[in-house]
Amino acid sequence: MSEKVFKEVKKPEKISSYFKMELPVLIVVTISGILYNAGIGVGPYYEGQLAGKLYEVFKGYSTFFDVLKLAITYVVVLTFVQGMRAIKRYSVRVFSNDVGRLMRHTLYSCLIRMDKEKLNKEGLGALMTKAIADVDICSEGMRKFTTEVFDTGVAMIVYISMLLFYDFKLTLIAGIFTPFAYFLANRLKKQVVRANRRQKMSATLLNHKTMDRVSNAITYRIFGREEARNEALEEALNDYEKNSIKANIFEGSMTPLYNSLTMAGTVIIIYIGSKNVAGSGFTKWDIASFTTYLAVFTKFAVKVSRAAKLFNAIQKAEVSWGRIKPLMKEIEIKKSLLSQKEIQKVNIEFENVSFGHFDNDNNFKALAKSLSFSVKPGQIVGITGIVASGKSSLGKIFIDESCYEGSIRINGEEFKSLSSQQKHEYVSYMGHEPELMSNSIYENVALGDETDVDKWLDMVCLSEEVFEMSDKKETLVGDGGVKLSGGQQARLALARTLSHSRSVMILDDPFSAVDKLTEKIILNNIRKEFKDRIILLISHRLYHFPEFDHVLFLHDGKGEFSNHKLLMENFNDYKELFDKQVKRKDLDEGDN
Amino acid sequence: MREIIKKILKKNMGILILMTICIVASVLLSLLPPLALEKVVNTLTSNQRVGLELAFLYFGLTVISNICESAKNSSITIVGQKITHGIRSILGEKLNRLPTDYYIKHGSGKVTSVFVNDADTIDTLFSDGIVGMFADGFKLFGILFIITSKSLGLGIIIFLLMPFIYFLTKHFQMKTLLAQVDNRKAIARVNNHVPETIRNIRMIHVFEKEKYMEDKYDDYILESYKAVNRSNTYDSLYSPIILIIKAIVILIMMTTAAAGEDFQKFFGISVGSAVAITAYVGKIFTPIEAIGMEIQNVQSALAGIKRIEEFLKEEEISKEPEKTKLDYVKKDYENCEIVFDNVTFSYNDDKQILNNFSFSIKKGEKVTLLGRTGAGKSTVFKLLLGLYFPDEGAILVEGKHPGEINFKERRKIFGCVEQDLKEVLGNLREQITLFDEDITDEMIWKALDTVGLRNVVEKLPEGLETKMKAGLFSRGQIQLLSIARAIVTSPSILLLDEITANLDSDTEKQVIDALNNASKGKTVLSISHRLSTFMENEKLIYL
Repeated sequence: MSEKVFKEVKKPEKISSYFKMELPVLIVVTISGILYNAGIGVGPYYEGQLAGKLYEVFKGYSTFFDVLKLAITYVVVLTFVQGMRAIKRYSVRVFSNDVGRLMRHTLYSCLIRMDKEKLNKEGLGALMTKAIADVDICSEGMRKFTTEVFDTGVAMIVYISMLLFYDFKLTLIAGIFTPFAYFLANRLKKQVVRANRRQKMSATLLNHKTMDRVSNAITYRIFGREEARNEALEEALNDYEKNSIKANIFEGSMTPLYNSLTMAGTVIIIYIGSKNVAGSGFTKWDIASFTTYLAVFTKFAVKVSRAAKLFNAIQKAEVSWGRIKPLMKEIEIKKSLLSQKEIQKVNIEFENVSFGHFDNDNNFKALAKSLSFSVKPGQIVGITGIVASGKSSLGKIFIDESCYEGSIRINGEEFKSLSSQQKHEYVSYMGHEPELMSNSIYENVALGDETDVDKWLDMVCLSEEVFEMSDKKETLVGDGGVKLSGGQQARLALARTLSHSRSVMILDDPFSAVDKLTEKIILNNIRKEFKDRIILLISHRLYHFPEFDHVLFLHDGKGEFSNHKLLMENFNDYKELFDKQVKRKDLDEGDN
Repeated sequence: MREIIKKILKKNMGILILMTICIVASVLLSLLPPLALEKVVNTLTSNQRVGLELAFLYFGLTVISNICESAKNSSITIVGQKITHGIRSILGEKLNRLPTDYYIKHGSGKVTSVFVNDADTIDTLFSDGIVGMFADGFKLFGILFIITSKSLGLGIIIFLLMPFIYFLTKHFQMKTLLAQVDNRKAIARVNNHVPETIRNIRMIHVFEKEKYMEDKYDDYILESYKAVNRSNTYDSLYSPIILIIKAIVILIMMTTAAAGEDFQKFFGISVGSAVAITAYVGKIFTPIEAIGMEIQNVQSALAGIKRIEEFLKEEEISKEPEKTKLDYVKKDYENCEIVFDNVTFSYNDDKQILNNFSFSIKKGEKVTLLGRTGAGKSTVFKLLLGLYFPDEGAILVEGKHPGEINFKERRKIFGCVEQDLKEVLGNLREQITLFDEDITDEMIWKALDTVGLRNVVEKLPEGLETKMKAGLFSRGQIQLLSIARAIVTSPSILLLDEITANLDSDTEKQVIDALNNASKGKTVLSISHRLSTFMENEKLIYL
């Protein structure tokens, strides 16, 4: 596989797709695997021959050079066989590495295209375990399966053929114990599976409990619950220990016992084999045949006892695959052209719009009805409302997290009918959560695009603070921005939104964690920079509403689209909301 | 670290001794079957019949050695698990002693990974590493002894070969280890990237940054991919090379045995011992190879162990400096519930956050801390909660220094409403009790009543047993739950950390009502950078 460019898997939900995709590697595996396993008998064969030759030398039938010749042949052939083995081992590992990488990649591609709601349903922790742990087990299982097809499958055929060739009857008799070993392994398989499943469950529980203990450590400390939580962790540890021991014993300690069963055949082999050498058995043997036969049978017994391990590996892989599979979908990756698209001037028209959500019975529940208004490029609309009037939901219409009836048109096109690409082309959105990445301040603003980060940091009044940080713009902000204060997080998120903004900007309470003076400067900066964009500013703070082109006031399932002055005159609720804040304003000034 | 493991082993002495016995027995017994085989072949070469008893001896030895092997594996597993368990318990205890700073600076994913992945490597280190090495070293010695006793020459050859094999093995392991360390690093990044994506999914969609995120992810998995392939190369070459060496040793043995009397004296073998020695030579490489792998296991585990050691070495919570425990303070503020007396504080000698800052709050007072971002409002809380200690000056809460308040008293004194509810793993009841079984249902319902959530919870089919999951509650309701968590133990002081900061006014009113309800008769200290809301009778402190 090439290093940088991924060929996407077709039908990633089928395990065979991965085998198909890795066909060239698998061909190498097949050729080297067959050659290696066909040559697997070389060792015992030549070792037996050498012992036989040595006997002949002692008896005077052969010379030193015969032994030397045979021994050199032995080394040369074995070197070839082991060379094949090295190739097989390497290519099989490349195969599993490729598959693991492909699966991880595909899983992630699917994950990143799921919407927020769906992701929440899946559960964050579960997804993480799924995506990461299972891929490893699964690709490891595929590696073991591929390996064992040759190392057990082909090798067993080679061994059995050799045994049959040396003495057909003896092999049949000595082999009668083998099915018992298989039978026993199969009988115990159920227990093995159950023990494994229990262990896996314990492991998941332990992981969750650990994650909970660590991620809520500060909370537990504040509430004085640290000791108690450690006791709970200890319980999970006990449970995990118990189940792990059980599972491991089933898995690791049974093999020698299966081996013993199969090895019962050696009694017959030694007894009848020695008769063979003496000439009174089934076949006429020399000593070389005797030692080769016994050595091959011993190796055969080892393989048989390992067959159970093969079941386990495949079984584990199947369980993991079962969890991964539903998450895998074929994804058509389109390159985003968003940053190259010109930002158009747009009009927004609302005509008799009701918005809200669908409830569980699929009935539309409107938060507000019959909104009609239009907004022109360059205008800023302040959106506010009384408690539970649905301000945020109004903004979420534009990211498809709320629904609407009636008609919303952007430049005359119905919003519903736009593709998501077109929607993104028109609208940028910033919600309550800052949604920061754990990398640098610079990266958080630029998101891989070329943009003047300094300018955007200036615009949100963050430059000075960034300058004081140890690594300036390259300062890492930590998981979700933890290393920044709440206000810094909000402003960084705003800088990012501004730098990627489109024709319409929806800002849902962007200043809630910013003090008032800063808010004023930022707002002025934004208005200066974006003269021909539409800004929908959703806020419960109305200081700046008098300066806005329009104000949309939501109340009692209705919306008044007007301006500050008229609303103050005509709507008591609005006036109350505003006055209350103006009163507080004096206090806030003390801030600055 | 070593001490910790010693302590754990001491605790499990019984099973440890059993394990040792099993290992010794299984090694000794596994050496016996070829000796029986030698007897069989020698009997054959002297043209005698092999009796059934010899056949059964061979089989019997095999079976007994297998049973011992089985017992050995089981006991190793048990001891290994006991050790990982012990280490995890110790890691858990460490969590209690880490400074709050640590949690702020380190992602929870990384710390969890020390618990989950790195602690597992201890099991690997033990079971597939140290113990395996002990068993295999013992076996190696045994085989070498038998070979040398049968053929001195061959023993010497193998003995001479050992350093070569050792250095070869070491070289391979070094390379593999480096590759594995790289892989682990890459995997840690992968592990962090996934939850981050989930958290930021909306932003990613709006800005169409799918490809950007994907490319980052692909970079991380590519790093891991390359590292794994490097270690694969060494992994696939090692064992074949060892087996080729084995073939060469057999070549030397057989040819020297056939080379005439002088040599034969020195190498002195019969056909039977040739067969037996071939079997032993086959066996001697198994432990050498295994030791190689075990050293590799140990080394790859070392990376994990190193991280565990680093974690255990992390600086722990410092004790409250004595000079901030001055007694005179107590007298001056007799009636005050909370006192800051000339407190100076900075995080790690950085910019001074608080400078000779003083205030006091009387019982039942409602106080709001105001100030711009970065003025140190949250720091006041952290100092109050004893998460940090002042550099100078003194802090008193109900007449005690925060560092003196033990964990059992905490919830009686403080009720802290955090900015966001930190959801814990469990049901609704546990969100409120934080698993404190001393909190009765009555107390829970009372708290729910106070914050106005009773109706909502009663309507849930499973009530308090409802499992907490996203979407169960609205944002405001979650904040209410957070208040319920704070007040369920009826603390005397309520701390509110910018709790209306991330709320829209849709929900703000609900929360404010709940707070007014909850703060009746309590001392309340809240943080706000702005007051868009009223609390009754509040006093303001500017920072």
